[in-house]
Amino acid sequence: MTQTLDAWRITEQPAYQASNDEIAYYTAAYGARLPVMLKGPTGCGKTRFVEHMAWKLRRPLVTVSCHEDMTASDLVGRYLLGPEGTHWQDGPLTLAVRFGGICYLDEVVEARQDTTVIIHALTDDRRILPLEKKGELLTAHPDFQLVISYNPGYQSVLKDLKESTKQRFCAMDFGYPDPAVEGSIVAAQAGISDGLARKLVQIAGKSRNLRGHGLNEGASTRMLIHAGRLVAEGLTLRQACSLAVVTPITDDPDMRAALDAAVDACA
Amino acid sequence: MVDLAVKASWPDATLAAFPGESLGAFSAAHARLAGAGYGGEVPRVFATTARQVAERLGPQVALSLGTVTSRVAIKTRPRIAAIYLSTAASMSRDMDESTFLNWQAMMLGLLATAPESVLPLLERMDMLTGRLAPQALSAWIDTGLRLAGRDAARRLAYFRLELPEAQRLLERHAGDETFQSLERGLEAFHTALWGRNVPLREALPDPSGRAIGRASFAAGVVQLPPSLPGHGGNERLLYRAALAHIGAHFAYGGPCFEIGQLKPMQIAVVSLIEDARVETLALRDMPGLRRLWAPFHNAEPGGVATAPSLFTRLARALFDPDFPPEHGWVAKGVDLFNAHRERLADPAISRHIGNLLGNDLGQTRVQFNAKGYVVQPVYRDDNLGLWAFPDAMHQPPAEQIEMPVETRDLGKTDQGGATDHSPQPPADDPPDEAIAIAPSEPTDGARVTQLSEYDYAARIERPDWVTVNRYDPGPGDPRFWDKLTQRHAALVKRTETLVRQANVGRRKRLKRQSEGETLDLDAAISSAIAHRGGQTPDHRVYQGISAPVRSIAVHLLLDTSLSTGAETGAGSVLDLERDAAAILAQAMEQLGDPLAITAFSSCGREDVRTVLVKGFDEPVGMATGMALSGLKPAWSTRIGAGIRLAGRTLDPVPTHRKLVLILTDGEPSDIDVPDPDYLVADAKRAVQSLTVRGIDCFCIALGSPDRQRHSEIFGQNHVQTFENIRALPEKLTEIFFRLSK
Repeated sequence: MTQTLDAWRITEQPAYQASNDEIAYYTAAYGARLPVMLKGPTGCGKTRFVEHMAWKLRRPLVTVSCHEDMTASDLVGRYLLGPEGTHWQDGPLTLAVRFGGICYLDEVVEARQDTTVIIHALTDDRRILPLEKKGELLTAHPDFQLVISYNPGYQSVLKDLKESTKQRFCAMDFGYPDPAVEGSIVAAQAGISDGLARKLVQIAGKSRNLRGHGLNEGASTRMLIHAGRLVAEGLTLRQACSLAVVTPITDDPDMRAALDAAVDACA
Repeated sequence: MVDLAVKASWPDATLAAFPGESLGAFSAAHARLAGAGYGGEVPRVFATTARQVAERLGPQVALSLGTVTSRVAIKTRPRIAAIYLSTAASMSRDMDESTFLNWQAMMLGLLATAPESVLPLLERMDMLTGRLAPQALSAWIDTGLRLAGRDAARRLAYFRLELPEAQRLLERHAGDETFQSLERGLEAFHTALWGRNVPLREALPDPSGRAIGRASFAAGVVQLPPSLPGHGGNERLLYRAALAHIGAHFAYGGPCFEIGQLKPMQIAVVSLIEDARVETLALRDMPGLRRLWAPFHNAEPGGVATAPSLFTRLARALFDPDFPPEHGWVAKGVDLFNAHRERLADPAISRHIGNLLGNDLGQTRVQFNAKGYVVQPVYRDDNLGLWAFPDAMHQPPAEQIEMPVETRDLGKTDQGGATDHSPQPPADDPPDEAIAIAPSEPTDGARVTQLSEYDYAARIERPDWVTVNRYDPGPGDPRFWDKLTQRHAALVKRTETLVRQANVGRRKRLKRQSEGETLDLDAAISSAIAHRGGQTPDHRVYQGISAPVRSIAVHLLLDTSLSTGAETGAGSVLDLERDAAAILAQAMEQLGDPLAITAFSSCGREDVRTVLVKGFDEPVGMATGMALSGLKPAWSTRIGAGIRLAGRTLDPVPTHRKLVLILTDGEPSDIDVPDPDYLVADAKRAVQSLTVRGIDCFCIALGSPDRQRHSEIFGQNHVQTFENIRALPEKLTEIFFRLSK
């Protein structure tokens, strides 16, 4: 059983290129131990940013990818049956609270609403986590911080944060980086030339134009890196874009044809 | 044995084509035609045609020509029978035996229903068979007959391809890509490429009926030709090339050029330079566009130096650096353009270079015919969007606006002539107002979509056959909800209780689960006992709560045809539909189940009239009440279209169950459908097509069950008939609860 968070420490520096003041913002929020909410489209670097900050601040990072079947017990912990009877197992959130780590709940709107309510007492000035089933009131470690991410793109009536949850957080809005910055990120991460990376970013721009006009999201920086890696493996730019960008992004034949043509125009 | 005399009267080729006994039959058929008084031409052409057909497809097929020819001659004119024969001869060249016989049968069928259409069809038969497969041809003819109905003049116009629908259907049956079939993809392409969402429109044919061959743009709207005959297989690329070019105008163009004193030739040259300028800039940004545009630049460097040819060459030379500018004028254009490459971002250079080149060309006395000039290459727009024409040219035809004013003025003058008339303010003159509103009504609907319809006789589903228009609801009552509560106080209360009960059952506790939020104590204890007793314990010791079990979306269709105006004793049928819909809407709102309400009626297939009372994402509110109370009974009932429309709106709703509920008081009917089975079959087909997609349809039929055919359409278990219509408001919500279980 893990009783420290050493396994969660990040030892190597995760590459991250700041496009604004986000590092200063986050450092300040962590200094004040305020919970942070990261908003932005998928694949724009939210998770990478948290990893980078955890490394920079030398804190262990406990990441939980939320899914729609996730329950409060999955976060807090539960009693398990062992050979000697039942015993308590801390969940990831409890671990971070107990030992002072950064707990990152990725895509928090995916989780069921009752899950988000348990973080309420942690995110105001009480900073406590009541473990009802265990009968323990856990006070947060001074180094503990909660970070959640949230993609407003999927926003629907069914999936949105409660107002009472939203208002507890500082929020940082992530977008796709500026084309120049994004180009250098793609070039560095995929190991391709700047010229090719710029073309990929231009293609991504075309797909982002279609956001709300047939696509839910444009191509993410992550997709571009994938496409770049495929080019480095020997595919042509058009092949790589078809494999890593156009086909994953939509099933609509009209949209695919339009995107293919747009890739063609840039390639 | 065939008579020797008969043998002697025919040339050898004929004898070879009709071996043995068939010669006698051929000879007899020929004699019948010759003796029937059709004149000399028919038997003469028959002799040749029959021989040719016999050579290709055998004597039996050739002999069948005789009877069909007589029928054509009797039903129409002998001259047309002769044309029929020569067409048949050319048809037999590319057809096998059964295809040819089917073709003959098709012509016989047409002869029986629409003899006047035989000639125009024969005249176009080569073109038609060239473009359409045999089945497609027969479907195109059937569609034409159905489209025009009993109107012979309209049938004639269809088969002469004078109706725009005829051309459009021909393209569709031929499998050509048209603007309509590509529109969505093109719009996405343009938005992706240029980051602007520009409305794309299908260009209307010009008044002379000539096809539009070039794209055009003006005032932020792009017009594209409805189809691109002669570019079969390449339509998509050509449309894309045109859009990419127009997008370049939007992205890099400046304000419109002033015409000033420019001559038509100078305008054409300036436009050409401007086209090249924006394309060069676009290619700097997106080099791949060269692949899109290049195939359409097919000018040759040499040849006669007419103005259009020189323009095409210059266009290619400016696009393609490797193109040899053999002609001096083209070379000068290229040099001038290259000299300005540093300043390409400035639209003024187009005018400057264009003026210089235009003057040069003017001095060489090359003729330029502005009227016949068409911009080349084919993907480029007509350049009208580049120029600021004097205002008058852009004004819509004035008569349309002025006519009503004129009539009214005339009326006033007449009244003014009467001595005792005193002028009245218009507001005090209700009849006048009513007249003013009535004619505008059919045009104020916004076209929403086109739906297919099933023709049971032809057994085909005709795509885009029915046009759905959306109309605004009439002026409604803002206090509708208050009045509803007054009218149905007890019912509203009862429904609320029902809703509360339904709410309670929403989540379920699940015991003995292998995963869950908490330990199921009972299971844990028995597991522990089993464990201590040395048995294998059951690992399912958790309990959880199920996800919400309700997941249903409903699209409620209200039939508002004229018959729903009938009085029931407790208001009209429509009044009761209205109240029922309102109570259901309230209940579903409280449950949080998505609901849309659409009222529908129809006035022929061109105008299925819908009123969107409530969309899935709109809350129930005053607007819903006003829309409901604004519904008026009118027109007919085209149920199939309503069902298809509801299905289409339900498709993207993310619920497990999807339900179309239809409130109707009669069987389907419409003014343009004399056959009572047609719309029933179509509605049945629509229901089936929704069932396949996981959408259930349920019909609530109002009125006497006699002679109603709803169970035929929806299936026995999907219809509930209410003879006592007054109970409807109460029952509808109950039915919903039953169906949603």
